[in-house]
Amino acid sequence: MKLLLIGMNHRTAPLDLRERLAVDDAAPVLRKLVADAEVDEAVLLSTCNRVELVVLTREIEAARIRVRSTFRRDLAVDGLGPVEQDLESCLYEYQNGDAMRHVLRVASSLDSMVVGEPQILGQAKDAYRAAVECGAAGPILGRLFQHAFATAKRVRSETRIAERPVSVARVAVDLAAQIFESFAEKRALLVGAGEMIELALKALRGAGLEAIAVANRTAERAARLAVQFGATAHGLDELPALLADADVVLTSIGGHEPWLTRAVAERALLARRHRPMFVIDIGVPRNADPAIDALGDVYRYDLDDLAAIANENAEERRREQARAELIVEAEQQRFDGWFAALRAVPTIRQLRARVETIRAGEVEKVLPRLALDDAARDAVEALTRAIVNKILHAPLSRLREEAEREEGIAHLETTRLLFALDAPDAEGFDDPGGEDSERA
Amino acid sequence: MVLALEYLTAALYLLASLTAGAGFTVARPVMLRAAVAVLAAGAVAHGAMFTLLHSAEPTPPLTHLPSALSFMAWVGTVAFLLLAWRARLAGLVALVAPMSCLGVAAAVFSTPATTALPGHAAGAGSLPHAHVLLASAGLALLGLAGLAGLSFLVEHRRLKKKRPIVGGAGWPSLEALDRAGAFAVAAGFPLLTLGVITGSLWQRATSGAYFSGNPHETFCLLAWAVYGVLASVRFGARQPAVRCALTSIAGFAFLGIAVLGVELFA
Repeated sequence: MKLLLIGMNHRTAPLDLRERLAVDDAAPVLRKLVADAEVDEAVLLSTCNRVELVVLTREIEAARIRVRSTFRRDLAVDGLGPVEQDLESCLYEYQNGDAMRHVLRVASSLDSMVVGEPQILGQAKDAYRAAVECGAAGPILGRLFQHAFATAKRVRSETRIAERPVSVARVAVDLAAQIFESFAEKRALLVGAGEMIELALKALRGAGLEAIAVANRTAERAARLAVQFGATAHGLDELPALLADADVVLTSIGGHEPWLTRAVAERALLARRHRPMFVIDIGVPRNADPAIDALGDVYRYDLDDLAAIANENAEERRREQARAELIVEAEQQRFDGWFAALRAVPTIRQLRARVETIRAGEVEKVLPRLALDDAARDAVEALTRAIVNKILHAPLSRLREEAEREEGIAHLETTRLLFALDAPDAEGFDDPGGEDSERA
Repeated sequence: MVLALEYLTAALYLLASLTAGAGFTVARPVMLRAAVAVLAAGAVAHGAMFTLLHSAEPTPPLTHLPSALSFMAWVGTVAFLLLAWRARLAGLVALVAPMSCLGVAAAVFSTPATTALPGHAAGAGSLPHAHVLLASAGLALLGLAGLAGLSFLVEHRRLKKKRPIVGGAGWPSLEALDRAGAFAVAAGFPLLTLGVITGSLWQRATSGAYFSGNPHETFCLLAWAVYGVLASVRFGARQPAVRCALTSIAGFAFLGIAVLGVELFA
């Protein structure tokens, strides 16, 4: 059994190509794949940043060709168009231990665009569930993915890889949580309606902030955002009144002079009876005068401040990544041991069958001559089975252990040779035992 | 049994302090929460100790300073636990637990916990007991307000300087610290006021006058008046949170010096 992983991600393939290969429903692709003889099990992970196929196969070369053709024909349902020639150069391929490590790294978010982001684990779980539901994932890939999920959990609990936010929007939300106990009763004022404002709005909504007002020069754009996020739309002339109510102010509008001056902020603070105000200024040039920092109840962070925190957090994540990689390495070795031990399964199964055949044959020869009643026959059956099991127990356990090591393969080969497990029939092996029994 | 519970309380508070300190240093919120749980276990043992103490006949009035400090530690701990149950305040355990530990340690390392009734309290009925309980509870809550104020100022300064958070996500928000401080003052000052009144009644029962002019009474009354002014300013008109935090710290510092300082150096 071999593991094979072929895929592409944000580092190897342009968005244009990834978009064409992304699939919403993996089931048809997976069913078609496992219907072929060369693929025993398969899981397809398709996200905005990666498309990967993990398969279990006995014929690695045939599976490679099959999986690559799946990328070319089955995933790109509308055709690859002009990017088809780029496909081969964008695909990476891992086998066995490397494939295991990759799956573990992906689930642990070590291979993500933003290292430590939590979504990938959920996406990996969804991909595995889809494969199970359509019958494409069996016990071995099942074990691999469960191990990957457990590894991801370990990485998350034993390192701080996901603790600190690294996007400007998430940093802003994190800072707001250091000022306010909860967002449930807080009001936000968003000044502007650009892309950054929209991103921050999504992050604030996600954090539980519900009362949001959007003010913009162009009322239509403010209205569009307001409708999209269930906020209220306002013109800039309403700013002083809105400011008095706003606990979080997020501003990003054009203009050479800051609109949030110290005098404006002081008036707002008086009106709001000195309740604290968190000002996130992501405008360039700045929308809030740095002089408002002198006001005790105003906490102002501009784009540089947020970016500095985000960079520091990203640096912290990189430091934690080294620790996470060690966990992944250890977990990969554990899984590798289990996977390697599977090599011993056919030998053990054949050896058991061979010995059982001998035992049953010998018992069958002897019992008619002994003229035993049923109870005595059962006792003889049980006795011979117990002897066989006791004799086989130690060597079979040892075989399983040895199979986990690459050097242990030789023991499997020796066992097969000694017990003639690769012989076309059992006669030559049984006869000597039979003669011995006869003599006895 | 009382002594055993007192030692157990001290050990649990110490464990909570160490766990909180470690959790704060390595920025692990889960350790801060564990410290809160250990502190709660300590508070239960501490409460059991006072229950046993108060079932004694006659009930010791805790007029002995270390016993009063131990009681203050218990009230402060229970108040903190109640606040932490309602708000995201687990990080404050890094300050509360050592204070509670010190309060109990004062009683552990002093003369027996079951303090004998001092001679000057004889004939005053339950007034000495009521005075110590009310004043200690008030002081404990105002001490908690001071700790919340101190934490608020440190956190406020960090946010203003745009420095990264220390102690991880378990550290309380500014709003939670401000609310905890306000609650502690709102509950603590009336208790302290009742403590002053019962103290005055106790004085009258023993000497015939409400006010004898000794240093303890003089400084306590002065400290109460100062704190009264600060509390009325805080609640009278909405003040900036920074000023509220400063008044909590200044008020408690003054109370501490006036009440405990005079008591210690008398």
